[in-house]
Amino acid sequence: MLKVDHITKAYGKKTALANVSLEIPPGNCFGLVGPNGAGKSTLLKIIAKVIRDYQGKVRQADMDRTIGYVPQEIALEETVTAQDNLLFFGKLYGLSREALRLRIAEVLEEIGLTERAKDKVVTFSGGMKRRLNIGCALLHQPDLIIMDEPTVGIDPQSRQYIFQMIEQLKQKGTTIIYASHYMEEIERICDEAVFLDHGEVIESGEISAILQKHGTPSIFVRGEDCLPEEIEKLGDIQEKEEGYLLITSAPLHAMELIVGYCKQNGTYPERLELAKPRLEDVFFSLTGNLLRE
Amino acid sequence: MKAIMKLELKKNMQDRGMIFWTLVLPLLFTVLFISVFTSGLNEAESRPVILTIVPGYTVMFVFFIMITMTESLIKDQNNGLVARIASTPLSRNLYLLGKWIPYMYIVFIQIVILLLFGKLVYNVPLEQLFNIIVLALVLTFMVTGVGLALAILVKTTNMGIALTQVLALGGAVLGGLWMPVDMMPDFIQTISRFTPQYWGHQGLQAAMAGTLEIGDFLKTSSILLGFGIVGFILAVVRYPNFLKRTTG
Repeated sequence: MLKVDHITKAYGKKTALANVSLEIPPGNCFGLVGPNGAGKSTLLKIIAKVIRDYQGKVRQADMDRTIGYVPQEIALEETVTAQDNLLFFGKLYGLSREALRLRIAEVLEEIGLTERAKDKVVTFSGGMKRRLNIGCALLHQPDLIIMDEPTVGIDPQSRQYIFQMIEQLKQKGTTIIYASHYMEEIERICDEAVFLDHGEVIESGEISAILQKHGTPSIFVRGEDCLPEEIEKLGDIQEKEEGYLLITSAPLHAMELIVGYCKQNGTYPERLELAKPRLEDVFFSLTGNLLRE
Repeated sequence: MKAIMKLELKKNMQDRGMIFWTLVLPLLFTVLFISVFTSGLNEAESRPVILTIVPGYTVMFVFFIMITMTESLIKDQNNGLVARIASTPLSRNLYLLGKWIPYMYIVFIQIVILLLFGKLVYNVPLEQLFNIIVLALVLTFMVTGVGLALAILVKTTNMGIALTQVLALGGAVLGGLWMPVDMMPDFIQTISRFTPQYWGHQGLQAAMAGTLEIGDFLKTSSILLGFGIVGFILAVVRYPNFLKRTTG
């Protein structure tokens, strides 16, 4: 269990984190969500022991204290080869020569760069660099992997590849802390999430529970003369994609009304869909949608 | 720490720009200036000129390693490598040492090559070999110590380049690397004694000619060592700020 206990961190007069506490069970994939400047990277750096000057405690019980940190930046030496980078980080993590040789081959395979092992990183695409960035944190097979926006600016194929890597890590029982701006990523790969804003935890828990608590289902309808008047009583209606989005806590009842109304009028809706609540909507409802610095 | 040293050396060995600054350019300058200043002179008249220029340009060009040192640390800082390394079991002080020691190797090899070039091409004397080696070592320590301080203190590579030019070229002029100190006005002669270039040049020149007395040798070595120690202490004192800027 990783316990983040009442962490407070300030940069001068600006508070980056205020009394943040979390508990992350082993083997869990934990999403960290928040707008820019919310304190996500600061919290990750504290857990990764990059920042050591803070108040509070980070405790790791039942874990070997091995951490792999994947920073938001592509923190590689680009003028040398992928293999050189892996060799470098492997040595920093204290791997012996023979173990390192084996692990480099395995990690290159895992990140799909075996063929490019001897090429200089500067010749790699953004996605390849991101994969290598992750690979450098996997060499010592850490119990805890901290990933700060690992999929920023990459193509869908590389993103997919990274998700597969994360799935494999989850299967191995590795604890993962994953910070991202992409809510669909958090929803897809994480079991639990914490919402940070202005350095404070504003919500945390299992994703399904958060969605149940804050998310409101909605239905989307498109077609002429498909909205009965009484449907307005069931929730908010917004115009969207040449149709209407009805945000309601009674979506099935609303659908029933629409279908009945259409039958009565002899019309057919072009589209009638039930939309699940999304983390992104919860994010906006919790943090507001004003632009942040 | 060895991993950092190895990576740093490998990176620099592949950098053609660094090879140009440390070897190609000083060799070109040496050849060019020797041919200009010895044209029309007989061999006996050329000897002292060559004996001034070879150690002079050696001392001048070792200072340019400060650009590479600054660039390396600033780059590590900007691309998140320092922060990432801070998350590994490596001690933060060993990172600093790992970034320093490779440049000592590079500068020492640079001095050896430049002096050997002088020996092989112009047959400059290397009379007091032990003194020359010790002076080369303290010169290496001094320039990399000051370079480390510069790399830790400045916030941008451009600032590092600008300050290196001031230190290297300003020190070269004042330290008598471009023209003999005794041809300069008295007040400049006084100022030149505060530059490491003056002591490095005078010491190497005298050791090469075989006229460096033990007292002067110790004095010169101590002064150069002093400059290096001041640089190192400055770097160590400001290192926590560098880390703070880097890791937040």
